[in-house]
Amino acid sequence: MKRRTFIAGVGAGVTATAGCLGYQQEPGDGVVTVATYDSFVDGEEPVGPWLKERFEAQRDDDVTIEFQVPEAGVNQYIQRAKQDAPIEADLYVGLNVDELIRIDDELDSALFDSLSGQLERSDRVLDELRFDPDGRAVPYDTGYISLVYDEEEVEPETFEDLTAERNRGDLIVQNAQQSDPGRAFLLWTIHEFGADGYLDYWQDLQDNDVRVLGSWDDAYNAYLEEEAPMVVSYSTDQVYYGDTPRHQVGFLNDQGYANPEGMARFADADDPDATVDLMEFMLTPEAQGEIAQRNVQFPAVDDAELDEEFSQFAHVPPEPVTFSYDELAGNLDGWVEDWARQVAQ
Amino acid sequence: MAGRRGRPERPFLVAGAVTAALLVVLLYYPVASVLVEAIFEDGQPTLSPLLDVLADPFYWDLFGFTAYQATLSTLLSLALGLPGAYVLARYGFPGRRTVQSLTLVPFVLPSIMVAVGFAAMFGTNGPLNQALAGLGLPKLELMFTLKIIVLAHAFYNAPLVARIVAAAWQSVDARTVETARSLGASPRRAFRDVVVPQLAPAVLTSALLVFIFTFMSFPIVLALGGLELATVEVWLYDRIRTLRLQEAAALAVLEAIITLGLTYAYLHYETAQAASGGVAPRPPARKRLFAKLDAKRLAIAGYAVVIAVVFVGPIVSMLLASVTDLDGSLSLRYYEFLLARRDVVVGTQPDVAIRNSLVFAVGAVALAVPMGVVVSLATARDTLTARVVGTLAMLPFAVSGIVVGFGLLQTVVFGVEVAGLRIQVTGAVAIVAAHAVGAYPFVVRTVAPALSSMDDSLVESSRALGASRTRALLDIELPLVAPAVAAGAAFAFAISIGEFNATIVLVEGGGSYTMPVAVERYLAERTLGPATAMGSVLLLVTGVSFVVIERVGGYGGFER
Repeated sequence: MKRRTFIAGVGAGVTATAGCLGYQQEPGDGVVTVATYDSFVDGEEPVGPWLKERFEAQRDDDVTIEFQVPEAGVNQYIQRAKQDAPIEADLYVGLNVDELIRIDDELDSALFDSLSGQLERSDRVLDELRFDPDGRAVPYDTGYISLVYDEEEVEPETFEDLTAERNRGDLIVQNAQQSDPGRAFLLWTIHEFGADGYLDYWQDLQDNDVRVLGSWDDAYNAYLEEEAPMVVSYSTDQVYYGDTPRHQVGFLNDQGYANPEGMARFADADDPDATVDLMEFMLTPEAQGEIAQRNVQFPAVDDAELDEEFSQFAHVPPEPVTFSYDELAGNLDGWVEDWARQVAQ
Repeated sequence: MAGRRGRPERPFLVAGAVTAALLVVLLYYPVASVLVEAIFEDGQPTLSPLLDVLADPFYWDLFGFTAYQATLSTLLSLALGLPGAYVLARYGFPGRRTVQSLTLVPFVLPSIMVAVGFAAMFGTNGPLNQALAGLGLPKLELMFTLKIIVLAHAFYNAPLVARIVAAAWQSVDARTVETARSLGASPRRAFRDVVVPQLAPAVLTSALLVFIFTFMSFPIVLALGGLELATVEVWLYDRIRTLRLQEAAALAVLEAIITLGLTYAYLHYETAQAASGGVAPRPPARKRLFAKLDAKRLAIAGYAVVIAVVFVGPIVSMLLASVTDLDGSLSLRYYEFLLARRDVVVGTQPDVAIRNSLVFAVGAVALAVPMGVVVSLATARDTLTARVVGTLAMLPFAVSGIVVGFGLLQTVVFGVEVAGLRIQVTGAVAIVAAHAVGAYPFVVRTVAPALSSMDDSLVESSRALGASRTRALLDIELPLVAPAVAAGAAFAFAISIGEFNATIVLVEGGGSYTMPVAVERYLAERTLGPATAMGSVLLLVTGVSFVVIERVGGYGGFER
């Protein structure tokens, strides 16, 4: 365990010293610090508080969960590791395959543990969701990227439909440089047209006035303002909106791009045992149901306790597609860069 | 950091040292930690990252487009802001001071809120297009075009133009105009020959600021226009995010060269201009706006309509979004959500965010105003050194917020090893210091011109009568430039309230989050409700604060 003693800043002057004093939160054993993203802990009915309450209640020791929401996501920890700065977190929740690739590109030392053998319930995770060949990231939920569309205006069924003249200016997608669903949609087109053909397909999309907005929020908000009748989103859209004409889920070529999210334990976790306990807990049928429903994603196991309503409105694509770690490693950056340059030209 | 005459005294030295230390720790060192990637490779000096970028035609286009949209944005901001400055400076009407206070509000709105408001107001089915359709006119296709980006930039920046120029207008000495008139000049001629030269520095300051801000624009571009309209900053953000730091540093260096170059050129002009100006002993009287109806007042009425569409429309649209449920009905459930969030154990509490924002802003003002005055004193004279120091002091304007945030993260937030100890600056006080560093250039830009235009003989007389340099500053100079100091303080407050990049880095998941951070965090899935409700709270709290600040702080000599 590599935990340094913090000393109040002397060289940085009076203010710096005071700043340090305001941040004396020495995480001791018995605290599982979970690094995650905003909507895991904030917003309406986030899953984070539920996890904290249930996990702490079902134990007879004093282990507690604390959350960190670093703006830079996993990059924060890559940079910390590069600079030998201490890592205050025990568990990272919300890891994508592309982030895993970046970690492996940037770091020689291990940021996360390989948990093989230590996590009993990891066998329960659906095989098709596993995306880490080294067994560090354990999937806890998954989303399927699909189209959401207004059936009174369009009827997208194939990739060719999106480039058809009748659908000119009808599609909003996200920027694959910075948005998870945006990148998933780009990868989906690469899966369909190949590394040699996807840029041509995108040229056709651009000729058909596709809009490449920034984040999922930007794109979805434009969709809600009825700027276009189709948007790239998740196949769980109807969980929020119900089965309405404006919120139909479209699986192009009967496919949907699977984007599993994983959790991984930091290699120098303060309390590695309690961290594994939390990971076990997150894979129980009860927690899997809550995570799926509150995160509006699909569970990573097949016996999650889900409400009837969720099962009715969350759609699974007939043919989930995705790229593996090995297929993406070494290719992803170039694919995204070439695409971004073509769009921005 | 001495005064303009004589040997520096201890208070000057201390203030100068503290200012310099803060700038080094919270600005120069973090920024340098990023930029160094552009000129060093494996410890060896190199130019290759910069040359790579310069050799890439794609980047020439990117910089070209970025400058083009910034130019358009600046022109529109001036077009919408200057009439506002005219009305605020030359006319009296009920609520004038409140309107003047509220010009700072757009400045602090998180970009996501502005994007929401703009999409609602100017979208295909928005009120504007419905009104046009009602009049039998064709709809305007604004979304996802350069037009809406330029308009959104004007939303942020035209109030800034109005504010800066109105302040200058109110300090035009009425006697100079009267003299010109008595010598036979027509009102138009007097305006052109007497008023315009006195306003020119303020117009140029604001134009320069708008150009730099819009040159470095990024979230608005992606939210309203899309990747097709990418700017340099869009690319820079991606390079930082994917940890391609060499390329990021090269882009940031080129960006900073452009913006610092503009700043230097401007300072040269400003100081030269200011030397001929003066602090107004007698501002011109204001005319009543609601008196008779003439051509000028009709034009002002037309301007008010434009303001209502461009500024009030998006804000009202955003407020409406906060009370509109998923099914389109009116609902207060997002505000109930905020109330309920006051008791949560995990996550962001609205009342804590409000309290933090206000406390940090007061702290930032307390730090930024002395810093700004110190730097103004150091740069008030027109020498080469003063211009170079002055330009470097403007660095917070000229360097990408993304670079500052990233630099802070990998230096002071992570901590730096010094003699085996890890020195770390995080927490509330660090946020206040970072806000002060971001805000003090505004204090400098309002105070420095006023100081440098002051008659040196005033200070010299007081010194001859035995006053210390410090005493002369406190008793003679500062009271004379009090309006400028007050204006700078109001800016500092606004910057602190609206600051996002450095804050979210320094918060690091801790308890020191502010209102804009809370807005960002409440962007829950599939509904903008909680975020827009928090955004509306931000709007209300800051709006009230600005009005209170200007009523209590007063505008010194401007408001009698």
